[in-house]
Amino acid sequence: MRNIMLKEMKLSASPLAYLFILFGLMFFLPGYPVLCGAFFSALGLYQSFLYAREANDIVFSALLPIAKKDVVKGKYGFVCIIELCTLLLMTICVIVRMTALKEAPVYRSNALMNANLFALGAALFIFGLFNLIFVGGFFKTAYKLGRPFVFYIVTAFLFIGIFEALHHIPRLEQLNSFGTENIMMQLLLLLAGIVAWLLMTVLSYRKACEQFEKIDL
Amino acid sequence: MSVVEVRELVKQYPSFELSRVSFDVRENRITGFIGRNGAGKTTTIKAMLNLIHSDGGTVSFFGKPMVMNEAEIKQRTGYSTGTVNWYPRKKIKDIVQVVKSFYDTWDNEAYRKYLELFCLDETKMPIELSEGMKVKFNLLLALSHKCEVLILDEPTSGLDPFSRNELLDIFTELKNDGVAVFFSTHIISDIEKCADDIVYISKGKIVAATSKEDFILKYSEPGESLEGTMLRMEGGVSHA
Repeated sequence: MRNIMLKEMKLSASPLAYLFILFGLMFFLPGYPVLCGAFFSALGLYQSFLYAREANDIVFSALLPIAKKDVVKGKYGFVCIIELCTLLLMTICVIVRMTALKEAPVYRSNALMNANLFALGAALFIFGLFNLIFVGGFFKTAYKLGRPFVFYIVTAFLFIGIFEALHHIPRLEQLNSFGTENIMMQLLLLLAGIVAWLLMTVLSYRKACEQFEKIDL
Repeated sequence: MSVVEVRELVKQYPSFELSRVSFDVRENRITGFIGRNGAGKTTTIKAMLNLIHSDGGTVSFFGKPMVMNEAEIKQRTGYSTGTVNWYPRKKIKDIVQVVKSFYDTWDNEAYRKYLELFCLDETKMPIELSEGMKVKFNLLLALSHKCEVLILDEPTSGLDPFSRNELLDIFTELKNDGVAVFFSTHIISDIEKCADDIVYISKGKIVAATSKEDFILKYSEPGESLEGTMLRMEGGVSHA
């Protein structure tokens, strides 16, 4: 597994995939839909898939002395690493905003969602959608990228819109908690996001392994 | 003794069919896989390597079915193609550093030897190489782990006559070291120069799979060259 990850990181990855991790810092932006940070990080991953396709990466990988499912595992492993690195930056932003900046007027007067633990869970959900729709969709053919990415864009922005607007619905105001307000609820929502990301990733990975075994390269 | 056994391989496409392809690649032999463009050479090789799924038939390496033992078989097999570019914008040394981590049998000495022989600069990227040098780079990767079978898809395409000759000499050297070499080509003189066995494919069907001597005995007319025989068999040119 170490060697396939090395291949993913050194040969298959576009430098943009690493650079776009920095979009996790968008969680600091006031008055901006912070969940777009997750989308932009996924955009870097999309660039990486394009870059790998130009380099005949999938056929090259299939010729290596590894099982076909390890080729799929490598791709999902790389995607998850980038997503978790982005999430780490987002988490740092959230911690700062929940503590040192919890009273900052620029964040308090924000019409969009607050960057709290619920936002982290929502970001994981957006990443889960990428794994389910785009990465899973890619492995149906191992070369078609456009269609699954368009499906992902539409779905991701639909959910970003929903998450950003939810706290305006009566009785859902608590979703926009600041600092440690409603901390149990915030933690539960983060946990829900983790579970959703795990479920979408594992389901997509299993299906991709099955499909990748069947396709002709 | 056969190291690769291909039996009754079938692959159907809307406009082409690989029809019950059977042949052996034998130990310590060079097998030339010849056929015109579109005859089914690459499809056969892809099916042998499990890159495409056959609609019937079996492929075994070292007596083991490919489908069940893919990783182990690929560890003991070298593959190269003259037509595909891997990672065109990565330095050769970076590609090699990754590839070697997959092979228990990676031989740095052999790598250095072929790097020098092929006059390849490992600080260059594949995109900076000529077509012939790209073929050599692909071969370098295949030759640097101690493979027991070398499967090469059109390895001589794009090579100048000197490099082609050099490469065919390398095949003979590898054969003497105990490697079974299987290479596809549409250049009959390549087969004439170094192949021990001939597998001849035409329109997706194996026309002949035998030793070069038997092939000449069976198909050549008196005084006819191998090239003349094949051109006649293919129906392209009637040999005088």
